[in-house]
Amino acid sequence: MSRRTLPVATSTQVRRQVKVLLARHRRPLVGMLVLNGFAALAGLAGPRLLGEMVESLRAGTTRGHLDRLAVLLALALVAQTVLTWFARRAGFVVAETVFADLREGFLTRVLSLPLSTVERAGTGDLVTRSTGDVEALARTVRFAVPEVLVATVTVALTVVAAFVTGPLVALPLLAGAPLIAIGTRWYLRRAPAGYLREREAYAQYNGTLAETVDGARTVEALGLAGRRTARIEGDLARAHDAERYTLRLRTIWFPTMELAYAVPVTLSLVWGTWLVAGGHATLGQVTAVTLYAVQVVDPVDRLISWLDEVQVGATALSRILGVELVPDDRVASDERPADEHVVVEDVRFAYREGRDVLRGIDLDLRPGERLAVVGPSGAGKSTLGRLLAGVHPPRTGRVTVGGVPLVDLPLDDLRRHVVLVTQEHHVFVGSVAENLLLARPAATEDALRAALSAVDALAWVLALPDGLATEVGSGGRPLSPAQAQQLALARIVLADPHTLVLDEATSLLDPRSARHLEHSLAAVLHGRTVVAIAHRLHTAHDADRVAVVEDGLVSELGSHDELVASGGAYAALWDSWSSDPSASPVH
Amino acid sequence: MRHLPLADPGSPDLRSPARYLLWTGRQQWRTLLVGVAFGVTWMVAQALVPAAIGRGLQAGVAEKDLEAAARWSLVVFGLAAVQAVFGVLRHRVAVDNWLQASFRAMQLLGRHSAEVGVAIRRRLPTGEVVSAATNDALHIGSAFDVTARFAGAVVSYVVVAVILLRSSVLLGLVVLLGAPAMVLLLGPLLRPLQRRQHAQREVAGKLTALGADTVAGLRVLRGIGGEPAFLERYRNRSAELQRAGVRVASPQATLDSAQVLLPGVFLVLVTWLSARLALEGAIDVGDVVAFYGYAFFLVIPIRTAVEAADKVTRSLVGARRIVAVLTTEPEIRDTAEPAAEPPTGSTLSDARSGLTVASGTLTALVSADPDESAAVAHRLGRLSDDAGVTLGGTRLMDLPIAAVRRRVLVSEADPRLFTGVLRDELDPWADAAHARGDADLVSALHVAAAEDVLDSLPDGLDEEVDEAGRGFSGGQRQRMALARVLVADPEVLVLVEPTSAVDAHTELLVAARLRAARHDDGRRTTVITTASPLLLDRCDDVAYLVGGRVVARGRHRDLLAQNPGYRQTVTRGEDR
Repeated sequence: MSRRTLPVATSTQVRRQVKVLLARHRRPLVGMLVLNGFAALAGLAGPRLLGEMVESLRAGTTRGHLDRLAVLLALALVAQTVLTWFARRAGFVVAETVFADLREGFLTRVLSLPLSTVERAGTGDLVTRSTGDVEALARTVRFAVPEVLVATVTVALTVVAAFVTGPLVALPLLAGAPLIAIGTRWYLRRAPAGYLREREAYAQYNGTLAETVDGARTVEALGLAGRRTARIEGDLARAHDAERYTLRLRTIWFPTMELAYAVPVTLSLVWGTWLVAGGHATLGQVTAVTLYAVQVVDPVDRLISWLDEVQVGATALSRILGVELVPDDRVASDERPADEHVVVEDVRFAYREGRDVLRGIDLDLRPGERLAVVGPSGAGKSTLGRLLAGVHPPRTGRVTVGGVPLVDLPLDDLRRHVVLVTQEHHVFVGSVAENLLLARPAATEDALRAALSAVDALAWVLALPDGLATEVGSGGRPLSPAQAQQLALARIVLADPHTLVLDEATSLLDPRSARHLEHSLAAVLHGRTVVAIAHRLHTAHDADRVAVVEDGLVSELGSHDELVASGGAYAALWDSWSSDPSASPVH
Repeated sequence: MRHLPLADPGSPDLRSPARYLLWTGRQQWRTLLVGVAFGVTWMVAQALVPAAIGRGLQAGVAEKDLEAAARWSLVVFGLAAVQAVFGVLRHRVAVDNWLQASFRAMQLLGRHSAEVGVAIRRRLPTGEVVSAATNDALHIGSAFDVTARFAGAVVSYVVVAVILLRSSVLLGLVVLLGAPAMVLLLGPLLRPLQRRQHAQREVAGKLTALGADTVAGLRVLRGIGGEPAFLERYRNRSAELQRAGVRVASPQATLDSAQVLLPGVFLVLVTWLSARLALEGAIDVGDVVAFYGYAFFLVIPIRTAVEAADKVTRSLVGARRIVAVLTTEPEIRDTAEPAAEPPTGSTLSDARSGLTVASGTLTALVSADPDESAAVAHRLGRLSDDAGVTLGGTRLMDLPIAAVRRRVLVSEADPRLFTGVLRDELDPWADAAHARGDADLVSALHVAAAEDVLDSLPDGLDEEVDEAGRGFSGGQRQRMALARVLVADPEVLVLVEPTSAVDAHTELLVAARLRAARHDDGRRTTVITTASPLLLDRCDDVAYLVGGRVVARGRHRDLLAQNPGYRQTVTRGEDR
């Protein structure tokens, strides 16, 4: 079992992709920022008008003037309200569009990953990326990025407004910046790793719990409740450690920020007094700037408190984009197969360097024959099956159809020649019909029924509450493993390739049904080349030829009768299996 | 901070969601109280800042008095320092409150799932249980997190109202009545938003499930083709989610702009009234600025109150789901007065099928319908209760479940492997005192003919097993699970179709080794449900079931010769 995880994009690659993404949605993004800028501008009228009020109160004024200022304040408020509405709405709409773009791009890439990568990396890592990382990114794209952009615009405009009010008066506004910069830098260096650790701990807790509920039968049968509880609480203890770490970071960061926010207000009172005393500023200017210093705290706080979320999002994005970095394992050539003849020539293959699983296999599949592959576990049967289906390119030698190496065929083309069905049964979320249609999207209902009937499944499918339209898969009607396997077989009937590799494709059916199914399948498969990797000897018995694979080599090849007559390993196994009392026991 | 996870999460009040929340609150009342104290100090300090600024502007800037300005700016800074210190203390306690409440729920759900998982799964899909244990548990935590801030909000609102009342009854009344009015006005805006957010989450959940499902079935999909159809489906759902997201945009924008407008109206009103008061000379310019500052500040308590209402609502919804999981009753439970354990070597029998299993034998159950023999196997190990199952004459129902599990171990048809280091997963019963040595584990793997699996693992017994053993093939998983129950070495081992996914070569090895390992001294009993001649040939005794009843017994070869039905079942309908 080699667990090669999928690549992760570097920060440079992430930045490049983000730029591409932003460029693709430039117009709505710019529109949203402009709207937010106007909303922020309207919000800046308050301190300015209050300064005006204070100044005129000191200088002596009339009721009418004050009322006019109040009306202006009210108008600014109305403008801010309306602009905020449009700005926020635009923000959400852009975010939804960008996020849809990202997740669809991700799934598109996942669906075209090289077959060998999918087989090797397993699905765990990919599932995590398609759920946890996509969700983390949703939060970043929907909230963090818009908040950060909007807050940046607001902060910038507030500072500009303060300087426009009085350049000298506004100077203290910058006094808090160094402390904010240092504190935030310190925090951001540590926080994302901490939050990632939190997320991982909770994800692990999720996984452990899901596994416990899914495997409830095993937990009960083996009396493992106590152990599962301990495991769950161990995960929670790790989550708690992670929480405490980030809490420690915030314990230092939060007060630093609060004090930094207070510095400009504190200074502007003293500085303002000095300026006003020297005749360099008015009370109104000082009032406005002091209130700007109070008012700017909220957007600055929002800006920096969303920054760590942006970083978490960047990490998620690097894992999502990482999928794009998987190199293709084949380059399709223009060659087209001359016929349907599949040949294996001196094939060697290793999953790990220096450990050949196949050590020089030659096999000539006669078009239309049924070849059974038997042999002990670990001998390389399934690996041979994968090479026969063009999943992996061989290390040396070649597997060809009609003279063209399988791995030189475009994928769509490849599947029209060879299809692999394994014992892995997965019922997709959707209706029974949808589960079948993926093999041939244009198939008619009659074709679906015919395929189901070929695998003995029509009766039970029609007995389902909604027949072919019954929702199955996770969250739908549960199917037994045997039923799932029948659906998988019905798919190949629809896919209609000339060569089929069945890797223990009937192993989950009970023996009698398996036998019966294989008989019905035989009719459908007639005329096709079938390679059946089997652990039930009756499959071998029914085949035209049997290949015994041992230790990465074909040790025996011939018809059932020939092999039984030759008295080799297959013969011994057969005797024991068929319980012929005259046979000698095998060890 | 409270040490988490808790040694004992306690027994909750499950009579209603509200009672569950109250119970949770009672468990952490001290932390809640401390949080309230910190929250009030923090927010009152914040509420007083405008007053200090107003005084600074009046006594300092307006009077051009540098000393007074310095004094008041020190007060501003001092208030900020109090705010900083109590703010972070409040935050720490709030996080503690949040963690205690959510972890307690997570622990309760974890324990209940481990103990009553079979019954829970019958009622709810796994996803719903996991979602209760994460999302809902965290929602409950949020409700407790907000308590400290909510208390601060209420007190600071009263403080501001009192200050204003002392300057002007009218202004005071505007604040006293205006703030609650705003909370009441904002509240209803939340509802349509939440409805659409809920709809959006549903669609998002389905889309995530669809994505995960596609990825989980990727190997199948790539083996057969059909990616375009799946991509199309995903795109359609994704567009649906985008539309659901856009539908959230309007109510969200309405709420956001209302949060600008309503406090804004308040601000304009207070500013206008105080400017008039200043013109009349009732207050000075500094007061006008301070009042503006109060009106600006009051946005925070108002938002906090709206947030608190929202979180309490959500936590009630979450509590309902949590209570639903926690009230699931186990399907089998210990009797109040358990019977004494029968001695080792007792005969196990099942009245419904008429099966008796003598101690020390290797017995096989054969049935044309594998579900029938599996049902017998489940009864024998008390995975389901049946009054007719006895061990040495004592009903299994009357024995403690723990004792039954120790003596009769059932390995069902599709045993699960769990994530973890292989060594621990093969011996999950290990504790500090009793852990099997590696030699025992390797010998169990040998009996299960799984040495080749072990050999293929770079880290051997230290290898990390993937979730549900996904990294193994079906046959490998099956042999690993077999090795696991062999490690347990129980008095009676019941194996349901233990070799259904392994090849004939390997099955033969398992048959020979199982017999040698468990039946060389006659002290252990093994029951296997199978229809494989390779296994049956190695059994002492074969019971052939028809319609769930034993109709024939004997050795495999004798039954093969004498019973046509049996012959047909084990030779897959092939008469040779």
